Amino acid sequence: MTVGVVVDMMLGLALVALSLRVVTGGSLFRDIVLFILFGLLVALSWARLGAPDLALAEAAIGAGLTGALMLMAYRSIGADTEERPVRRRPGVALVVAVLTGSLVAVIGLAALGIERVPDAAGDAVLEALPGTGLGNAVTGVLLVFRGLDTMLEMAVLLVALLGAWTVLGDARPGRVHRVDRRTPLVGSLLTVVAPITLLVAVHLLLAGTDAPGGAFQAGAVLTGCGVLMVLTGTLRPTAVAGFATRLLVVAGLAAFVLVGAGAGFVGHAPMTLTGTWAVYLIETAMMLSIALTMTLLFARARGLRGEGS
Amino acid sequence: MNGAMETVGLVLVIAGCVFYAAGTIGLLRFPDVYSRLHALTKADNQGLLLVCLGLAVLAGSVQVAFLLIVVWSVGLVAAAVSAHLIARHARHAGEPHASRETER
Amino acid sequence: MSTEVVYVLAASAVFGAGVYGLIVANHLMRKLLALNVMSSAVFVTMLTVAGTTPEGPDPVAQALVLTGIVIAVAATAFALALLVRLVQETGLVSLRAKDDDGA
Repeated sequence: MTVGVVVDMMLGLALVALSLRVVTGGSLFRDIVLFILFGLLVALSWARLGAPDLALAEAAIGAGLTGALMLMAYRSIGADTEERPVRRRPGVALVVAVLTGSLVAVIGLAALGIERVPDAAGDAVLEALPGTGLGNAVTGVLLVFRGLDTMLEMAVLLVALLGAWTVLGDARPGRVHRVDRRTPLVGSLLTVVAPITLLVAVHLLLAGTDAPGGAFQAGAVLTGCGVLMVLTGTLRPTAVAGFATRLLVVAGLAAFVLVGAGAGFVGHAPMTLTGTWAVYLIETAMMLSIALTMTLLFARARGLRGEGS
Repeated sequence: MNGAMETVGLVLVIAGCVFYAAGTIGLLRFPDVYSRLHALTKADNQGLLLVCLGLAVLAGSVQVAFLLIVVWSVGLVAAAVSAHLIARHARHAGEPHASRETER
Repeated sequence: MSTEVVYVLAASAVFGAGVYGLIVANHLMRKLLALNVMSSAVFVTMLTVAGTTPEGPDPVAQALVLTGIVIAVAATAFALALLVRLVQETGLVSLRAKDDDGA
């Protein structure tokens, strides 16, 4: 047994212990924080499994963004709403949980035992990748080989935002519990962190074609900046979506459709994206859409405006 | 990579882990919010610095070293501001101060 | 025991924990936490069993999981919006009526 496997075992045990705590614990606030920790450990697991793209995405989206959304909702619905955390007779649930867990284990272990077919989809991707001009196989799959999936994913994000807007009804934009600004540190935090986040987001976007990174990770990092600006009151939620907001939230989907349809006009089959310029164009639009959509979902608002305006 | 550099790097990383362990023990054992924050921010920032230095030595590349400096500075800013906000909130909420109780 | 086996076993246990939480939790936000825990377990299992290429885990599986992570956060955000509205309208954080207590 190597040192690596021992690390894996410790990580695995920590994941199991944390997940048990998250689903059964008595304090919702603490369990949300533990869930964020769980997400960060999952990110470490991705790194251990050799998937740095997923590690970045999990840390930024799975842990950071989901955690921020949860904590925001927790504040909105009131801190003391949880009376009884669990039902009184969890016996049946326990049996079901053990059975489904075992089922996953059996399926997983059986699948591990199957020998990999020589020309699986992943190998085909690696073979065809040099022709796309991209160096990162995951970006290749997302933007070129399975671009349609990613386009529909942007549609799902848009639908989630539209759904949230519908549910919001005619309610006033969510009261944002802002950070106390009477301390100078918060202002300096924004001054220091906002440019760094921008830089990191653009770097992730550009690096994503050849190295770990891409539109999703960049968008999530940018969302972090948006969340910070909402929390410090630099961006205020509004009840109306302006034209620029509407344009930006559909930009990712629109870029896909336009580039996809445009391919038809220049003699390619529709939806066959070609060239790194298309990838950069779509990824930039995706990043902006993701960042704005997620920030709006966080603030439960239809639009955002600057502090002074 | 020569052996001496590797040893220096590993010693730095392990020293950083010791600081992290000390900070975590402080977080678990200290009696009130303020001293816990003190343990966390002081020990963990030092631990992060040592781990980053060790990794930079192990990587042996200027570019990686520069990135690690950025990582450390951002961690420092985040830790300073969050600790400040937590302490401020705790004081405004009237969180008790353990030392005053033990002075009785 | 290999790395893959460790993660499949851990993910199975995490999935079981998620199922348990989904069934027994009263608070809807805790049910959401449980669902998110379950989806993480599914993602880890998916990537692990997909096998590896010479350049790391199967890129198609990685892209699928990346898509899944983003869809999961979108669904969570929508569910939280529903939950906040539910609390605003009814004051309840669970789907069971208040007089349905001990049952």
